[in-house]
Amino acid sequence: MQVYLPIAEIPVNIFLILALGLITGFMAGMFGIGGGFLATPFLIFIGVPPAVAVSTSTNQIISASVSGLLAHFKKSNVDIKMGIFLAIGGMIGSSVGVTIFRFLQGAGQIDLVIGITYVLFLGIISLTMLSDSFKNFIDKKFGMDWQHRFDEKVKFQWLLRKIEKLPFKTYFSKSEVYISILVPIFLSFGIGILVSIMGIGGGFLMIPAMIYILQMPSHLVVGTSLFQIIFIASNATFLQAISGNNVDIVLGILMIISSAFGAQIGSRVAYRVDANATRTFLAVLLLLICFKMLFQLFNEPTNIYSLEILK
Amino acid sequence: MKFCRLLITLLFFGGYQTSYAVPLVSGISSNEINVDTEFKGAQILLFGAKSDAGNIVITVRGPRKDFIVSKKQQLLGIWYNGERISFKNSYSFYSLFSTFNNGQTIEENLSDFELGKNNIKFESSPNLAPAKINEFRIQLVELLENKNFFAKGTKKIDFLDETLFKVMIDFPKNILLGTYIVEIYLINNGTILSYQSIPIFVNQVGMSAKISEFAYNQAVLYGLLAVFIAIFVGYLTNYFFVKFIKK
Repeated sequence: MQVYLPIAEIPVNIFLILALGLITGFMAGMFGIGGGFLATPFLIFIGVPPAVAVSTSTNQIISASVSGLLAHFKKSNVDIKMGIFLAIGGMIGSSVGVTIFRFLQGAGQIDLVIGITYVLFLGIISLTMLSDSFKNFIDKKFGMDWQHRFDEKVKFQWLLRKIEKLPFKTYFSKSEVYISILVPIFLSFGIGILVSIMGIGGGFLMIPAMIYILQMPSHLVVGTSLFQIIFIASNATFLQAISGNNVDIVLGILMIISSAFGAQIGSRVAYRVDANATRTFLAVLLLLICFKMLFQLFNEPTNIYSLEILK
Repeated sequence: MKFCRLLITLLFFGGYQTSYAVPLVSGISSNEINVDTEFKGAQILLFGAKSDAGNIVITVRGPRKDFIVSKKQQLLGIWYNGERISFKNSYSFYSLFSTFNNGQTIEENLSDFELGKNNIKFESSPNLAPAKINEFRIQLVELLENKNFFAKGTKKIDFLDETLFKVMIDFPKNILLGTYIVEIYLINNGTILSYQSIPIFVNQVGMSAKISEFAYNQAVLYGLLAVFIAIFVGYLTNYFFVKFIKK
């Protein structure tokens, strides 16, 4: 069954979109990351303009984050004070991000920039995951201990010492940390820019940063991250809708509903399968997407001239 | 909107009737094309009669738009949009029918009326080199031809007898919305004996039309709605799964 996407201006098969949402939701529910990283490239591959794919993906992230956050609220796993400071930085960051996005769109370079940032981040993430999986595999097989040879936190010592000296320190009672408010604001400012340009939630960067830089206890990290993502993604979606008309509400609703179901199924399956094997699978999948997008960057276009008809 | 259409129709129909009534009469099968999600393109029949000697030229021109033509270039093997030239306020649709055997004649006779593909005016920045503008202009026409917005070459007019003629105007499925103008000229020895102009309105109808209209005209509400729906569905799915499907 075909449905016409009013903003993307292409007809698509409704079942293809629903399957896409189900798969990306399933992956996101299973691994906790990667929803946007899968959804945006898939949408681009089926012919949705990259700008619409990114903006609609941020719309979908809101929904997934609300659903996840409610579960964490119930367990009281959210540091709201920290979340608010992160949201402030994220709102500014995503506003800057959408401005950059619109500038690049006007200059005709947004497709290229989306392509390059995806290739870079997908490459880094998938290779890191693959090497982790490999180390895990060696650990199990030969009883070696690669992973815990040195503490991850050692890497950030120099940064933490600098952070100590920053002004505007405050105590976050839920997380039991005493840290400058500038740290969460700057952190989510940077991630907010990335969120609006790539149409991702940014959890893959935010979660490690909350553990190693903000020194938050790990049980609060996911809930608090979801809390602030809602603000960032809502702001980015709204600004994309009013400045560039890039949000396709029909595509958004189809993706939102199917990915919500996928996420619920994924999070249930996650308990029953070998974590290392599924991680490896996701890593390989992300690497394949990375290669496909890389190929598109280098592939000679059929016509070197292209036309934009302005409204 | 309705009033506006009536006004345009009156202007065009009224205009020709007072000035050149006798030698040329023509009409079309429909004044309206409704584009919905199932739209596969449309054909409109134009028919007419001429009572004087001379050649007939029929043009169909679509709504004026701004265009940007980009030329892809390679940097370290990566293709990117290099040079970009914008053309402002030019026709987005163009189709030509004529009884002239020789395209050259049309070009010479009717350049003032923007008849003939090479006579269509494309405004671009005056600071650019003419050769550059020409290169991109040729590509623009070619790209519009690839989209079936511009017809390739001049099409023949079918005559049923000495006076009666008909043509079939093709509109592709990716057609742009707006007002299209069909113009019929009767030309003898380089002068226009008669001229008639008929508008065709291309409208979008159906659900997706309403959504895109809403997105462009009420962007703030549309943005808020997109955010609100996402939050609401997120809440609903959580509620649904907690309530009915336990782990």
